[in-house]
Amino acid sequence: MADYDVVVVGAGNAGMTASAAMAKKGLKVLLLERHNIPGGCGTSFCRGRFEFEVALHQLSGMGSPEHPGPLRMMLQELGVIDDLEFVEIPELFRAVMPGTIDVRLETDKAQVIAELQRHFPGEKEGIEKFFDLAFQFATQMLSVFYFKDPDASRDKYPILYEYAFKTCREVLDSFFSDPLLKAVVSVYWGYIGMPPDRLSFAYLAILYFSFIEFKAYHVKGGSQAMSNAIVNKFLSYGGEARFHCGVRKIEVANGEVKGVVTEHGERISAKCVLSNASPVATYLQLIGPDHVPEQVHVEMRGRSLSMSGFTLYIGLDCEPGELGIRDSTSFIMSNTEIGEKVYDQMRKLHVEDDLLVLSCYNIADPDFSPKGTTELNLVTLKFGEPWLRLPPTEYFREKYRSAENMMRNLERVYPGIRDRVEELEVGTPLTHMRYLGHPAGAIYGFAQHMKDSLFFQPGGGSPIQGLHLAGGWSGDPGFQPTLEAGKAAANSILKELGA
Amino acid sequence: MKKAVFEDFDGYREVAAAVEMSRKLGVNYSPDTDLADPYIRRLHPDRMRLRVSDVFDETSSTKTLRLVAEAPPLPPFQAGQYIALSVEVDGVRTSRPYSIASPPNQLGFYDITVRRVADGVVSNYLLDCVEPGDVLESSGPAGTFYYNPIFHKKTMVCIAGGSGITPFMSMIREVLECGLDRTIHLFYGNKSFEDIIFHETLQWLSERFERFHYYPVIEEPPDGYEGSRGLITGRLVKETIGDLEEKTYYLCGPRGMYDFCVPELEGLGVPKGRLRREAYGTPADIEKDPGWPGEVKGTDTFVVTVRGRGEFSARAGEPLLVALEKGGLAVPAVCRSGECSMCRVRLLSGKVFQPAGVLLRKSDRQFGYIHSCAAYPLENLEIAL
Repeated sequence: MADYDVVVVGAGNAGMTASAAMAKKGLKVLLLERHNIPGGCGTSFCRGRFEFEVALHQLSGMGSPEHPGPLRMMLQELGVIDDLEFVEIPELFRAVMPGTIDVRLETDKAQVIAELQRHFPGEKEGIEKFFDLAFQFATQMLSVFYFKDPDASRDKYPILYEYAFKTCREVLDSFFSDPLLKAVVSVYWGYIGMPPDRLSFAYLAILYFSFIEFKAYHVKGGSQAMSNAIVNKFLSYGGEARFHCGVRKIEVANGEVKGVVTEHGERISAKCVLSNASPVATYLQLIGPDHVPEQVHVEMRGRSLSMSGFTLYIGLDCEPGELGIRDSTSFIMSNTEIGEKVYDQMRKLHVEDDLLVLSCYNIADPDFSPKGTTELNLVTLKFGEPWLRLPPTEYFREKYRSAENMMRNLERVYPGIRDRVEELEVGTPLTHMRYLGHPAGAIYGFAQHMKDSLFFQPGGGSPIQGLHLAGGWSGDPGFQPTLEAGKAAANSILKELGA
Repeated sequence: MKKAVFEDFDGYREVAAAVEMSRKLGVNYSPDTDLADPYIRRLHPDRMRLRVSDVFDETSSTKTLRLVAEAPPLPPFQAGQYIALSVEVDGVRTSRPYSIASPPNQLGFYDITVRRVADGVVSNYLLDCVEPGDVLESSGPAGTFYYNPIFHKKTMVCIAGGSGITPFMSMIREVLECGLDRTIHLFYGNKSFEDIIFHETLQWLSERFERFHYYPVIEEPPDGYEGSRGLITGRLVKETIGDLEEKTYYLCGPRGMYDFCVPELEGLGVPKGRLRREAYGTPADIEKDPGWPGEVKGTDTFVVTVRGRGEFSARAGEPLLVALEKGGLAVPAVCRSGECSMCRVRLLSGKVFQPAGVLLRKSDRQFGYIHSCAAYPLENLEIAL
């Protein structure tokens, strides 16, 4: 008899929701996490008066209590919603390129169109048509793939059939002529980690639709509060969690999962193992290449690693208004590149004129940090690979050099901000690698090229009997998708075990 | 098999071809080069084995232990960071953080400087029982007490008390040896002149380098002593360095020094962001903490039930972590000052005292987690590791 029905490797978003969902249904579940706290990306750390949010910028899929979105419904089902407080973020984003453009978009389609038209009067018609198309596309996509219309056809869903495999770039080019407009409209690409000339239009359309229809949310206490709440429910459903307990090995015999061996050498048997680690680590490190069926190697070979992040966690000793910070989310642009040059820049070690995303948590939630302070997260996307080539002794110097450039770009938008810094911590691709265990610190898992996204994702299944994977590597990256992926993995394990 | 809906979408065939192509020509992931851990170990090893290569006498109560890696190289660190040394004393495995006193511009060894203290279990063990050739287990370099070039000022005002000099030794040596564009003013407080660690070195460096200014401050100086006496007051700092702007202030020393110096500096108008404080353990006598509930005595003993691991006895006046260690439980700990959260455990029932300054996450508070290094039992407790 196995020690556990399921051992879950890693308390990231998917690991946690899967554990809670399975324990709720009565399965005997052991959740193992090598760090001291649960959450993976959904964690925080303390410096002085500040508790810094590590990774959550805008939570999608929540919807209001009256019109709940899929994520809210799932959190309700897991029983955690009452332990958490969500606040709506009133705007979509500010996009600013100092001296060139400064637009503020709200979560209202008409306002988005009007604001963009005000800045680009020559492209009035294209702007309206673009957003109409994006919304029609998203609606058709939902009908076919979320509500699963059995009679889907080209006649019924012409926009979906025509646009699903178009890149953002193709669609932008067909509606707009000003490169600045194209760059502003597609600035959300940073949320998926794929520049617009390669990013599937579907993602951009769904992001606008989702943030406008279901709004974006913050959770009070940050993503760590959500992680703690989910683990708390998991424990109350009878689940068992161990921290400081990494997994050294997933044991496989005759193509079947047998259990795990912990870093402390303890052997634990289980009917199923759900890995919240990357497939690269799961197959090559935990299982070992020899036990991995050829088809897994072939499938992985087709995938490349996404980029990592370079992040400044900033605590200010003043209210946001004092420096003119009025937006929860600001994209700080230095140019209008949306193509190969963006890619080239992300492959360089240093942050220079990269696109920056600034989140200010106190706009939607004035209590996020102590009264009279402000908490910011300034992030840009960088591939981890150049950081792996850096000699360790050069690490701190290079880290501060890039951080300095980011701070300078931030000062161009908010002069005087540096003098108000009370705490500042820098996270590099290696930091993300350290805490997530992801190869090259790839925060979005495998890269989301057209051939890797939507219908072409690896999914959570495995040819190894009893092994499941869930997280940003198997499906879409981001908080909503990974939290939901855990629930989906739980469902397939429950089915497999006949529970 | 039924055809999937998306196979009829425009452009499907091109995407499917790209999938096939990439599977043929893509990346062969290798366990040797594509996993995170080997890279991370070079920078942030969880554990290191360090061999004592030399022991130097500094003062009558202080020695420097020179540590080299059993498996070199040593990871880089930032001047001001510490390592947590793990030792077994009288059958109890425990750890203590020690600032690295040697500069980060050389990684052949780390120096730690240890002073004898009353009841200093680990320090006294290191002074009395450790010899060259012994191997100690250590954490990787940790801590957040270092110069941050993004927002710290280039003039550093360092205030050290007693063995709190050690992180500053690393900073001073790095700045001077590497010729960094920074100026350091060091105020170094000690009870008596004999207590000063590194006095000759500091004196010599201050004579040789214009960027470094050294001001020893002696609480009980000998007759005829001409330097500063008493405590390090705001007035002394202001009179010595003049303009207080464009400077960042760093403090490292015993709790009593913070209690005195922090208000002094705040009184001069130094904002929080320019006042950096090293974590310096928990108070020696927690009963003297202003928040301590009078009805409980430090000597009161309670039963701590650790779910699945048995029952342990714990004194109110001792951090819960220490009681667990005495009971033979291995609870990972690094800073032992309530900040790093490595020793986080879940409090299922019972009450603990947590002194001000413990950096507990808001949601940890909500869901009953505590940092066991800075939590003192006030009742019988049930906890989960």
